[in-house]
Amino acid sequence: MMDNKTFIAAGLIIALIIGLIAVFAASSDPDGLESTAFVVQGLKTLTGQTPPDAELQENHEGTFSYESLMPDYSLGEDWGPLGGIIAIVVGTILAFLVVIGLVYTVKMATKTNQ
Amino acid sequence: MHIPDAFIPIWQGAIYWIIALIFIALALRWAKNELNEEKLPLVAVLAAAIFAIQSFNIPVSMGTSGHLVGGALVAILLGSPFAAVFILTMVLIVQAVVFGDGGIVVLGANIINMGVIGGFVGFYTFKGLMAATKSMPVSAFIAAWLACFIPALAASVQLFFAGTFPLVEGLIAMGIYHAIIGVIEGVITVAAIYLIMNVRPDLVDNGVYGAKGAAAA
Repeated sequence: MMDNKTFIAAGLIIALIIGLIAVFAASSDPDGLESTAFVVQGLKTLTGQTPPDAELQENHEGTFSYESLMPDYSLGEDWGPLGGIIAIVVGTILAFLVVIGLVYTVKMATKTNQ
Repeated sequence: MHIPDAFIPIWQGAIYWIIALIFIALALRWAKNELNEEKLPLVAVLAAAIFAIQSFNIPVSMGTSGHLVGGALVAILLGSPFAAVFILTMVLIVQAVVFGDGGIVVLGANIINMGVIGGFVGFYTFKGLMAATKSMPVSAFIAAWLACFIPALAASVQLFFAGTFPLVEGLIAMGIYHAIIGVIEGVITVAAIYLIMNVRPDLVDNGVYGAKGAAAA
């Protein structure tokens, strides 16, 4: 049976490979929720293609807006696909570390209370 | 199905956050009491893999694409819906804060849909179907499909309350798109369970092996 270190290494490598393929191969079509927004805004029919220049109207009154560090999993057009690769690698490692950190924090808090 | 901030008013986002926080607190209690430290490698790898695979949008026709959400997968593998709340919450926080994928104020709604509803629907559908059919792939596929479909309907109801989607049109479009995206969810969920059962059967919850809890052959 695979030991823990090999399991974690293999898992991370598979995750990173999937993420890296996604940078180049992922569909640029809107996801189900955005697609629905296009439909209800009359920019697309239910079963039709999404026009490439279609842009969603967003209501910014009474809603929150925030500029993230790497919007849309990229570092902007100047960086091209490299920015996408950096974003995916950072995100994958971050998700991994955040969960490990939280589990340890929760477990440590338990031990100190006892 | 990550809802962006522009789609839901702040006050409604706050209500979803309060509901989400209750489930996050329960998920932390689950991690404290139920999460065996030996399962940590699986928990951490699932978080990384779900983040990566969620960036992989696969075309599903009709000008639309979709990706795995992972709530059913996590809940089935770790044997608790709170595992899905725990891992999906962390992945959704990273996506929203660092990458602007899904809003911050609406993050509570996204956690409720994908983590809570996805996790509970996925886990209990799997459990019920396993008892009835004794077939892991059939049970996991249907559980994962529902764990994609039902949260999508929940999101369209939230967006109706927000005044962003009309109720019926939103439900129909969200339902049709996620009925197809759910097939991706089902296939990847079954494949991932088989993969992990093969390399580390000890990390997989006994529920996956059926009522007897027998180890995988």
